[in-house]
Amino acid sequence: MRSIRVRVATILLLAASLAGAQKLPWESGDAQTTKQFVKFLYPEQVSIAANQDSVVELHFAVNPGLHINSHTPHEKSFIPTQLIVAEPQGVTVGPVDFPPGTDFALTSIPNEKLSVYTGEFVVRAHVKARAGEYLLQAQLRYQACDAMSCFPPRRAPVAVSVVAK
Amino acid sequence: MKRNVVVVLAVIVALGVIAWAGVANYRKRKADESRAKQPVIVLSKASDPGSVSAGGDETPPFKNPLENKQAPQFTLKDTSGKKVSLADYKGKAVVLDFWATWCAPCKVEIPWLAKLHDQYASQGLVILGISEDDLDPDDKAALFKQKQEISESATKLGINYPVLLDDANVAKPYGGVDALPTTFYVDRNGKVVAATIGLVDRDEIEANIKKALGGGEQAQKGQS
Repeated sequence: MRSIRVRVATILLLAASLAGAQKLPWESGDAQTTKQFVKFLYPEQVSIAANQDSVVELHFAVNPGLHINSHTPHEKSFIPTQLIVAEPQGVTVGPVDFPPGTDFALTSIPNEKLSVYTGEFVVRAHVKARAGEYLLQAQLRYQACDAMSCFPPRRAPVAVSVVAK
Repeated sequence: MKRNVVVVLAVIVALGVIAWAGVANYRKRKADESRAKQPVIVLSKASDPGSVSAGGDETPPFKNPLENKQAPQFTLKDTSGKKVSLADYKGKAVVLDFWATWCAPCKVEIPWLAKLHDQYASQGLVILGISEDDLDPDDKAALFKQKQEISESATKLGINYPVLLDDANVAKPYGGVDALPTTFYVDRNGKVVAATIGLVDRDEIEANIKKALGGGEQAQKGQS
C-alpha cells in the first residue's frame, strides 16, 4: 500500500516537473517565431505497413510570388532545400527524394538560370517503422526569394502522425 | 496514520506544483503567441509602395527605420581579418550594403556599386559590403571555408571595396535586415539619409549616393 502511494506521489511530481519544462519541438527556434514563406500542407497522418519500406509524400506550398532553391541549385553558393528529420525511436527515415527544380531567371539577369520550386511541390520520404504510433517531426530548410530580394534561410515545421500496423 | 498524512500532504503539494506549472506554461504560450503576432520588418521595395509583399499579403511601403538618425556604430572584421569601424570614415559618405553569397538580386546590384565606387571615391564615397552569410565561429575549419567562399564570391563579383563579416549581428541595430540586398546611405555627418530594401535600379542607387555625398556637405556648410 505504501509503495503504491509513494509511486503515485512520484508520478505526480514527475508530471508536475514535465508540465513546467515541456516545450514542443516546433515551439523552438525560428520555425515558431519567424514568418514562413513555405507551408507544410499535408498529410497530418499516414498509415504504413510495419517493418516495411514505405514512401510518405510530404506536400508543401511556396507562397505566391516567391521561389525557393531546389534541392540541387545550379550555383554552389545557393542554399539547397533540405529536409531535416528527427527520427523517433522505432522509425527510420531513409533517402528523401526531392523533385527536380524548374529553371527560373530574374528579369535583370535573364541568362543566369536558377533551379527553383514555386507553388506546390512534393518531397518523398522513405520511412520504415516498427508496429506502433509515432509523431514524425521534421523541418524543411529553405531559402526564399522574390524577384527583387532574398530572405535568410528558414525552417518550416513538419509533423506527421505515423501509424505502422 | 502519520505516514498517511505525509502522503496526503505530498499529493497536495504535487497537485499545487502541477497547477502552478500549468498556469506558467499557459502564460508562456500566450506571451509567445503575442510575440509571434508582432509585425515583422516590411519587405516591399522602396520605389514600389503598392507592391504585394513576398508573403502574398498587402504590406505597407518600406519605411527607413533610421531615416535622419545617426547610423549605428560598429566594428567588424573584413575578409582578411582587418578590423573596420564605421567611425574610421568620419567625414565621408558611406554606403552600407548588406548582401550574401546566396542572394541572386545582390549579384545584380553589386557590379553597379563597384562602378559607382570608382566614380565617386574621389569625392569622398566609401562603400562597405556587409556579408550576412552564416558563420560558424565554433568550427574553425568551417569558418575558414565560409570566409573563403565569401572572399571568392566578392572577387567574382568584382567588389572593389571592403567586405565585412557580420559575426556580431550588426544587422540588428539596422532594423534586422530581413531581406537582401538592404542598403543604407550615410552622409558625411554620419546620418542615414536613405535606405532601400531589395534590388533597385542603378539610377536610384546613384541618386542616393549623391544625396549622401551632398547632404553632409550642406550640413557642414550650415555648421560653419
